[in-house]
Amino acid sequence: MRVLELAYVIALGAGLGLASAHYAVAERPIVGRAQIGAWTTWPKSGARDTDPYMRAYLARGVHLPLGAGEGLQLIAERDDAGQPLDGRCRYSVTGLTPPARGWSLAVADPARRPLQLAVARESFSDAELVRDERGGLRIIAAATPEAGNWLPLPPSGRFQFRLRLYDTPISSHAGELRPEALPRISRVDCR
Amino acid sequence: MSTLDDPRDLHGAPAAKPARASTTGWPRLLGRGLRRLVLLTMMGLVLAGIVHILAVLLIPVLAERDAASVYAALGDEGHAELVTPAPAGLPGLAEPDPNSVSAVCGFDLSTGPVRVSAQTGALPLGLTLHRRGGGVAYAITDRAAIRGVLEFVVMTQEQLDEHLAQDEEGETSRELRVVVPAPQGLIVARVMLRRAVDRGEAEALATSVACTSAD
Repeated sequence: MRVLELAYVIALGAGLGLASAHYAVAERPIVGRAQIGAWTTWPKSGARDTDPYMRAYLARGVHLPLGAGEGLQLIAERDDAGQPLDGRCRYSVTGLTPPARGWSLAVADPARRPLQLAVARESFSDAELVRDERGGLRIIAAATPEAGNWLPLPPSGRFQFRLRLYDTPISSHAGELRPEALPRISRVDCR
Repeated sequence: MSTLDDPRDLHGAPAAKPARASTTGWPRLLGRGLRRLVLLTMMGLVLAGIVHILAVLLIPVLAERDAASVYAALGDEGHAELVTPAPAGLPGLAEPDPNSVSAVCGFDLSTGPVRVSAQTGALPLGLTLHRRGGGVAYAITDRAAIRGVLEFVVMTQEQLDEHLAQDEEGETSRELRVVVPAPQGLIVARVMLRRAVDRGEAEALATSVACTSAD
């Protein structure tokens, strides 16, 4: 009886402990996350004093995160209305970007599979954009060609936007950013 | 008439004994068993918490597939080597930015401090130190360059103490010394591509970063 009880405690402890540790670091951890509008960032992911969950996540793959003084990455999986980003829809990315020496906006697959795009363009840098007369940012993301700054999307399925800001003064206090300081993602229509 | 046919034998005195046991013994036994199960489950949950914390802390220590372990051999020739696209026989970066180029240099401070020096160019360049087991130990950009050169020496705390003891009295060292918590890691040179045509220039800039012995 004692052996059974001991086996139950060990099985429960080891099983639950290892499984919860695996799920906690299989993706970017909930700990240390900052949500700014549609964008999510982990301001401490490139800092010296990063938390153990982020360290474990980074150690499980070939990751080279942007350093805290080097830049900042923001990820969006949903639009401003909270709907998941879907390749069958058209999105407009408008508004402002925080001060940075340069930035890029890329489309990525959440499961890191290669994207099936109509043309080989996965990202826009700030220098490649055609801006309107007021200097505003307007990118149209869609699976089929669009006029203006067209960012091709996969024909179907979920995707992410990744905004990388290089040499930005905000990287140390990214959690205090206001949603208006970041590009807005709005769904135009869906097929 | 057999005794079985006697209804008193079935529902009478002999049947009263187990009925009495079920009202007194079973609930007590069941209650004790339940309490024991709850106690064992609590012990299991406490153990699960300990295992969870230990596992999360041990993953970086035991990691063999992190960037610093995978790319440890790159940069042997004294300069950083490109990892975008992935080098032959090695895995590529997990989430590369299509608008940047990265070159790395593996370092092992057990043989002495390492000097990193980079010439700056027109494209934004960032240098980061990634320690083994994930995590950035230091980051600097080309804005900190002096006369177009970005240079620092990577060392452990013991090596810094040794250097401080060797420094001449009253003389200030002009070199930037960076202390890293672990003796092994990666020096990463990342150059942002403003346009696709910049790739050649960015790759030349990233691979020109020198990482040599400081002694």
